[in-house]
Amino acid sequence: MRHPSVNSARAAYVSLALVVAAGAAACGPKDNDANGSSGDSTPHKGGTLTVLNSDPQTDFDPARLYTSGGGNVPSLVFRTLTTRNRADGAAGTKVVPDLATDTGRASKNATVWTYTLKTGLKYEDGTPITSADIKYGIERSFAPELSGGAPYLRDWLVGAADYQGPYKDKKGLSAIETPDDRTIVFHLNKPEGEFPFLATQTQFTPVPQAKDTGTKYEEHPVSSGPYKVVKNENDGEHLVLERNKYWSASVDDQRKAYPDKIDVQSGLDSSVINQRLSASQGTDAAAVTTDTNLGPAELAKVTGDKELAARVGTGHFGYTNYIAFNPKVKPFDNPKVRQAISYAVDRSSVINAAGGSALAEAATTFLPDQKSFGYTPYDLFPAGATGNAAKAKELLKEAGYPNGLTVTLTHDNAQNFKTSPEIATAIQDALKKAGITVKLQGLEDNNYSDTVHSVKTEPGFFLAAWGADWPSGGPFLAPIFDGRQIVKDGANFNASQLNDASVNSEIDAINKLTDLDAAAKRWGALDRKIGAQALTVPLFHPVYKRLVGKDIKNVVISDWTGVLDISQVAVK
Amino acid sequence: MSEALVATQAPEASASGASGARRFWRRLRTQRAATVAAGIVALLVLVALAAPLLTTLEGQDPTTYHPSLIDSARGGVPTGSLGGISGRHWLGVEPQTGRDLFARLVYGARVSLGVAFSATVLQVVIGLVVGVAAALGGGWIDQVLSRITDIFVALPLMIMSLALLAIVPQSFPRPVLVTLVIGLISWGNIAKIVRAQTLTLKGLDYVAAARLSGWGAWRIARRELLPGLAAPVITYASILIPVNISVEAALSFLGIGVKPPTPSWGQMLTAADVWYQAAPQYLLLPAGALFVTVLALTVLGDGVRTALDPRAASRLGVGTGRTRAAVTTSTATSTATSTSTATATAAAKEESE
Amino acid sequence: MNGFGGFLMRRTIGTLATLLAISVIVYVVFYVTPGNVAQITCGPRCSPEQVHQVAQQLHLDDPLYVRYWHFLQGLVAGQDYSTGTSVEHCSAPCLGLSYQTDQQVLSIILTRLPVSLSLVFGAMVLWLVLGVGTGVLSVWRRGRLTERVLTGLTLAGWATPVFVIGLVLMIVVCGELQLLPFPQYVKFTDDPEQWAWNLLLPWLSLALIESASFARMTRASMLETLAEDHIRTFRAYGVGERSIVGRHALRGALAPVIALNANNFGSAVGGAVLTETLFGLPGLGQELVHAVSVVDLPVVVGMVLVIGFFVVLANAVADVLYAVADRRVVLT
Repeated sequence: MRHPSVNSARAAYVSLALVVAAGAAACGPKDNDANGSSGDSTPHKGGTLTVLNSDPQTDFDPARLYTSGGGNVPSLVFRTLTTRNRADGAAGTKVVPDLATDTGRASKNATVWTYTLKTGLKYEDGTPITSADIKYGIERSFAPELSGGAPYLRDWLVGAADYQGPYKDKKGLSAIETPDDRTIVFHLNKPEGEFPFLATQTQFTPVPQAKDTGTKYEEHPVSSGPYKVVKNENDGEHLVLERNKYWSASVDDQRKAYPDKIDVQSGLDSSVINQRLSASQGTDAAAVTTDTNLGPAELAKVTGDKELAARVGTGHFGYTNYIAFNPKVKPFDNPKVRQAISYAVDRSSVINAAGGSALAEAATTFLPDQKSFGYTPYDLFPAGATGNAAKAKELLKEAGYPNGLTVTLTHDNAQNFKTSPEIATAIQDALKKAGITVKLQGLEDNNYSDTVHSVKTEPGFFLAAWGADWPSGGPFLAPIFDGRQIVKDGANFNASQLNDASVNSEIDAINKLTDLDAAAKRWGALDRKIGAQALTVPLFHPVYKRLVGKDIKNVVISDWTGVLDISQVAVK
Repeated sequence: MSEALVATQAPEASASGASGARRFWRRLRTQRAATVAAGIVALLVLVALAAPLLTTLEGQDPTTYHPSLIDSARGGVPTGSLGGISGRHWLGVEPQTGRDLFARLVYGARVSLGVAFSATVLQVVIGLVVGVAAALGGGWIDQVLSRITDIFVALPLMIMSLALLAIVPQSFPRPVLVTLVIGLISWGNIAKIVRAQTLTLKGLDYVAAARLSGWGAWRIARRELLPGLAAPVITYASILIPVNISVEAALSFLGIGVKPPTPSWGQMLTAADVWYQAAPQYLLLPAGALFVTVLALTVLGDGVRTALDPRAASRLGVGTGRTRAAVTTSTATSTATSTSTATATAAAKEESE
Repeated sequence: MNGFGGFLMRRTIGTLATLLAISVIVYVVFYVTPGNVAQITCGPRCSPEQVHQVAQQLHLDDPLYVRYWHFLQGLVAGQDYSTGTSVEHCSAPCLGLSYQTDQQVLSIILTRLPVSLSLVFGAMVLWLVLGVGTGVLSVWRRGRLTERVLTGLTLAGWATPVFVIGLVLMIVVCGELQLLPFPQYVKFTDDPEQWAWNLLLPWLSLALIESASFARMTRASMLETLAEDHIRTFRAYGVGERSIVGRHALRGALAPVIALNANNFGSAVGGAVLTETLFGLPGLGQELVHAVSVVDLPVVVGMVLVIGFFVVLANAVADVLYAVADRRVVLT
């Protein structure tokens, strides 16, 4: 898929591109067939791993990164209180201890969370890591100079809403206590059973206050992980990481850290990345990508080539592309109109536009089709693969539009294959059969974000996408359907502006659960319940197919990120 | 690209009125290559105009999806041989959508040629007005207009387009907007050519004579200057048209060109380049169409120039570098011009074809 | 001629005025461009309060003329800025700080300029060789098949967008034939040989596009010269065709080629956006497009100014070279 890397991480707004932003997320495999093609598949230490990426690691400050599970490249340098389990598939959606000895101990109805650090933890300069450094790292993420992270800390920590970070407010955040060098306690303003997931984000990495250089810190952040930054050129376009000799596997059971050196080259055109990986010449034989899928054109070629097909890793990241309705705008206030569109949608042509059946799977639920999200299958307005035009026409008649109707679909002009023109035209073509004339309103990227995320300007019918901050129903459903998260004077993601007391109270009830399996089931049930209102039309979940170089071994792709985990890859 | 591209010739001083036009056509017709090129250009324009008719003839339209003709599991590559070429789809179908390529190509010609031609007209008109006004106005008028021209030469077209296309409301028709943006931003080079050429002409005997006999500036511009400006301007315009097609393509590449589902050659090229290996005809069709257009326009442009001014090479003692200097630097003074007018005329007499 | 000094002075003043006007235009245009700069800078899910804090931090709430005034002040006197932990100085001429990365705009430009210059210098050599070479050949063999084929080839380059030429070249040369490594920028100072090998394809792509204009220019100028009296005299004296075309006619094409070259060089320094994007070269054009997409006004203004400076400079150089090549031209 080609998009000139015009849209930067931070600009790719709507899609909530934590994924892109951090170069972090992307896929978990249902059928991971990339296992290193050479005979000896046992991974060994040594060598240089090359990473070929499209988006530069513009932010390398742990405060500014917006990641799912700590990111991929960032996670090599930043260890966090907890982290994602580095395992294939569904096992990889579990949260596991990283700097801490466990995933956190909850008390007082999950409003107080306590962590204890492992012993023997050191920075790249040999100084010990303390709980105060973790507190400081979180505090500095509140500084306006270092904005960019996820909203949860500000929303959850007691008294954090107006905090402006340690540069302006020397007193610090009283919601975080560090009774001793190894203990850190968080006080939340409401029960949050999923706090251990939040503790995987890079804001939970220790930052030694003495080494903090503010906005310049990202040039050389102090490493707590297996690698340290030895070169950062052109604002994250070229990163070179080498071993941090003070890190040891004995205090880190997640990162394998096989290669001696990691060379991250970004700002590359996506088709060039795929050409390089498929040619696998020279250093590209030991190369991977963490942000570039095979595009449809490349897939057509790869599927015909056994050697290449064996080097494709497949992953699933919790992500849903959908049509959003704003019921405050006519005629979308009429549920029958929304249902008619749900019936009329031709998912197979949408999927073709997104790259074909190998790169996208039809979605009829808002939640991604993974167990950790509490996926509960439902298809309330069955459109089949190609749309049910007859049923749609019938509903339109009931709604008072016997002669069809004309509506405007708003989309992004950026070629991101999520909210882009290709998807919009596929929908336009499908709705034509049901007597619905669709006019397209394509907006430039920034304009699109401003427009669809403001309750004042939000159109009635537009393309949207949502990605997981961590693999659970909570961060997936709450920002989109929790009535108390409607933002009147800023970026609003509750597009349907749903404020349903029963939905709100169910969200609160599930958040109290620390049993994540039980929570997942209830998220799934809630998804179905909201789905009945036809406030969105789920279109598809993306599938990530990515090539690796021919010398790459030990490809591990979790369902948390959907991309191969760099910390596991070996080149020898 | 530069104004210097147009190694301009001297004006056809007496080319005015109906006899001039007739002579022009006669001369153009005698050049075989130019005649063929003119035919091709006419055909392209005809195809663009008759796009709805042609697609009806084929029984297709440019926007309908044909999912049955593509292989979804393989990224949506057309299933038929040669990219799905058949009696129903004369040039095959588009990967990922199955839309008819013939229909998209002929409809694409409308947008691409339409945008390119009208943007060129806009550039030429602005360039002519500013260039002539600067040259004839002289003094501070010249200073102001020349600095404004400099600004528009130095402003990067891509960047300004990115900004301007985002500012204008989406309801504004996109092809018109793209045309306006290209036309209004990049007229600087042509204005420089026109100014320089006008300065040269101003110094020539017959224009000076016209001035002495009390003709007004407007009459001079219309009757004496325009014929002399025609050759370089037309040549430059024939180069600008393909450039403008490419600019439209580049804007599509950056995601700010003509909006889908409207096809344009630029958009097709942008979408098709990654398909070069899997579905080569998808790339070759718009690329080929563009190449034929450029080739025809270039040959035609050369022909028109020759027809307008067949003895160009001889008349003004070309190669003195004077006219070229004027064109390129836009700073050659009329002093330089008039000093060599005598030699030029002498040379013109001596060497005739 | 009232002297080279006078010319220099007038040109310098003219250049400064032009650049100033450009900066005003860019400020105004990007000021009205949609996109909530504070929200983009802060992040997609920043709360309204945070967005407000960021807006204050970046002085985005100030009226346009105040912001422009600060920009001018920075240019003349430099400015102090805070990194959060310390106060740093951006010395004059300070083009300001990037909204997105808080880096000094001038240092961003200075790290990227060598890449753009490397790209354009090399491409220039190639387009001169290819363009002028084709032009000369087509004059020498005029009317024959060679001329038609050469004309066709250069026009094919002229007609094809650079992203198509570049990608196809890369797939064929690097992917299928594996004759060259996939381009990846290596600094000239690190390894000149690798620098050249890696830039070969970008150079070629850019040169293929540009060479058509040089071929046409060379051909047209040479044909004009060939029609001149002194050439007829040479012929009459029995000077060979090869010498006439190769030496005398080519000399006539020199001046316009120089001028065209200066102009193209100037606009390519910042204008090779697509080439840089396609080949992943960290040059000015690539960064500029990125800055535009995130409405990073200081970076956009700074870069457009630098690019404008090169265009204006190149045009001035063209005029001088022209005057050197042709004594009859007066510099004004």
